[in-house]
Amino acid sequence: MNGFAEVGVALRGSGRDSIKGAKRGADMANLNGRARQKNTYDAIVVGSGITGGWAAKELTQKGLKTLVLERGPMVRHLEDYPTATMDPWQTKYPRGQLPPDELNAHYPVQKRTGYTLTEYTRHFFVRDDQNPYTEESRYDWIRGYHVGGRSLTWGRQSYRHSPIDFEANAREGIGVDWPIRYEDLAPWYDHVERFIGVSGQAEGLPQLPDGQYQPPMEMNCVEKAFKAKSEARFPERRITMGRTAHLTDPTEEQLALGRTKCQYRNMCIRGCPFGGYYSSNSGGLVAAERTGNLVIRPGSIVTSLIYDEKAGKATGVRILDATTRQEEEFYADVVFLCASAFNSAWIMMNSTSSRFPNGFGNGSDQLGRNVMDHHLGVGASGEAPEFADMYYSGRRPNGIYVPRFRNLGDAATKRDDYLRGFGYQGGASRPGWDRDLTRPDRETSAPRGFGAARKAALSQPGPWVMGLGGFGEILPYEDNRITLNRDKTDEFGLPTLTMNVTIRENELAMRRDMQTAAAEMLEAAGFRNVRGYDGGYAPGLGIHEMGTARMGRDPKTSVLNAHNQVHECKNVYVTDGAAMTSASCVNPSLTYMALTARAADHAVQARKRGDL
Amino acid sequence: MLLSRRDAIRGLTFTFGVAATGFAGRALAAAPALAWTPTALTPDQARLVDVVAELIIPKTDTPGARDAGVPQFVDRALADYYNKAQADRLRAGLARMDADARAAHGDVFVTLTPKQQTELLNGYDREASAMQGQASDDDHFFPLLEDLVTVGYFTSEPGATVALRYDPVPGAYHGCVPLAELGRGWATR
Repeated sequence: MNGFAEVGVALRGSGRDSIKGAKRGADMANLNGRARQKNTYDAIVVGSGITGGWAAKELTQKGLKTLVLERGPMVRHLEDYPTATMDPWQTKYPRGQLPPDELNAHYPVQKRTGYTLTEYTRHFFVRDDQNPYTEESRYDWIRGYHVGGRSLTWGRQSYRHSPIDFEANAREGIGVDWPIRYEDLAPWYDHVERFIGVSGQAEGLPQLPDGQYQPPMEMNCVEKAFKAKSEARFPERRITMGRTAHLTDPTEEQLALGRTKCQYRNMCIRGCPFGGYYSSNSGGLVAAERTGNLVIRPGSIVTSLIYDEKAGKATGVRILDATTRQEEEFYADVVFLCASAFNSAWIMMNSTSSRFPNGFGNGSDQLGRNVMDHHLGVGASGEAPEFADMYYSGRRPNGIYVPRFRNLGDAATKRDDYLRGFGYQGGASRPGWDRDLTRPDRETSAPRGFGAARKAALSQPGPWVMGLGGFGEILPYEDNRITLNRDKTDEFGLPTLTMNVTIRENELAMRRDMQTAAAEMLEAAGFRNVRGYDGGYAPGLGIHEMGTARMGRDPKTSVLNAHNQVHECKNVYVTDGAAMTSASCVNPSLTYMALTARAADHAVQARKRGDL
Repeated sequence: MLLSRRDAIRGLTFTFGVAATGFAGRALAAAPALAWTPTALTPDQARLVDVVAELIIPKTDTPGARDAGVPQFVDRALADYYNKAQADRLRAGLARMDADARAAHGDVFVTLTPKQQTELLNGYDREASAMQGQASDDDHFFPLLEDLVTVGYFTSEPGATVALRYDPVPGAYHGCVPLAELGRGWATR
């Protein structure tokens, strides 16, 4: 892996700001004023993923000299996507699947999704044996430590939270009230969508607000027919094209960054050589670098916030250099924690002082609590009754979407068996040559044959199959929590996390409806062999962990205020998934980015006023 | 079922021993010498995999497993990919094919006529499907081997680009295209 040695380099590797890591190993006792000045910035951003990239972009564009600290190695856009153009016959292993022994030895958690970790993507995921944690209950913590983080491997579905999402906790007496409403975030959603580029269809639905969209991708014949027939029977269940952070009609700004139209390769998770989808690496960090105000330092594990008791604020952060294993300090007027929900909480829990004996800003005891994800793995599938003579070309990295249609606030959509709701993501396709490979769920017991007839059959596409998979909201439960375990340390001697997260009656009742309603829609549309499924779900499998430092109105019951500032220390902002007060049922990254841009604007104004 | 059929075949071999040997000799002569050096397979096993892979995916109007380098792919999977249990199962399967061939026809699998070879594979396919859905579902070697040959073939360059259609950079998505215009399935999704 490159990167660890390249500390303090600019993103495109100009070397302009490079500082030799080997020469650092700063002896803290000798840290003089000049060294301190050298390590001082206007702002520090911890993490370089989807929110770290946004914080870096906004802060640098608004004139702040900004240091981005990333614990993993550098990943440069284009240069560091080693598998992006590999053909199927270029893999070392069959289908690019990693050997079972390697998965079991190094990736016992990362392999759990079944689809993310391959020979094509291995460098974008952590090795679990090097990044241990404790599962008091099963928690699938899927992550990657490198510049760009999971913005390289995310699902790219981009939906806004709706007014009912921001009001639900207060209305139902669940958790605490969001300190903001939809209107507070709407202009920042606009701002984010315009920059990252989201393709989608405006639908005019109150439960799924429209945004700034580039043209939607196309439905295939089966999806179009499904939409017509299902909506005729269930008009409240709108079927729309997935809203996804792919360019279908790039703006001048996006083209100027070196990004171009989605090429429908559907190899996004390897990194996109066209910049077709949004990542920190192709977007936010590039924009930040062009301001001349960005320094990014890979291989920098932030271990704690430095708190000045007299000043009553944070003065910077301590890091452990991943290569030299030396500690070092960096200083700034404002710190943004964008390290992911669990790692931002980890940094705060590990930042104890006489002011904060139970963790930074944790007077509420809410730090690490209220862990949420989206529960999934449940839905229905069926075979299309027509279009055997039709196919498609191109690999659309997107599917259809059915916005939430339960508990919208009116009697017609009210459920007595659970609160909140879910959306469906799905699509129709024709299975390929791999459709008869042995698998546990293979139903037929007829011999599959071999020879010319089977070869000819597999050279043709299989029958159309349509699937709908639910993404359900998980309520915030105080005892769904992560805690710091000082007795079990990682390879750097740092404390690890212990997970204790489960889903409850509300989620289980919702899952039953998620399965039933999907099957109803497929049956109404005339699909054959419709089968509901619930393949089970373990917390984390949605890869949407959030809630560990929630926003709220009251410092006694929440960690962050309405601007993502730590209630008890206003110059520290937390803007990743940790901030979420409730989960909604939509994919969260767009909201994280909007919260980050809004918080960065607040920080810049507050700093100007001298309020930090 | 397989046993009784095998007994019947053995009876035939006994009765028409001379003729059968003649066929076997021709089949062996028809199997080309290996043009590559196996690393995980023995040379005999490699010749067997070469013949079986071509029976599973034969050359038709498009290349077969042999032309697509599938035997080498199987050898690499054994060397780099499979764990010990999988490798043992595959090697045991290869040994069983030769043992069954000897029992039925008095010689190793690669020497049999294509018809005899196909008969044996049909038997394995039926055995495996009868085990499908049972706890020992994946214990039969034949699906393991057939899966590997299938994957090796359709992810090879000839398999992906000639037997199937492959487009590394489609550039656009068209959701409703007559299958007749495309002719074949896509290699990747």
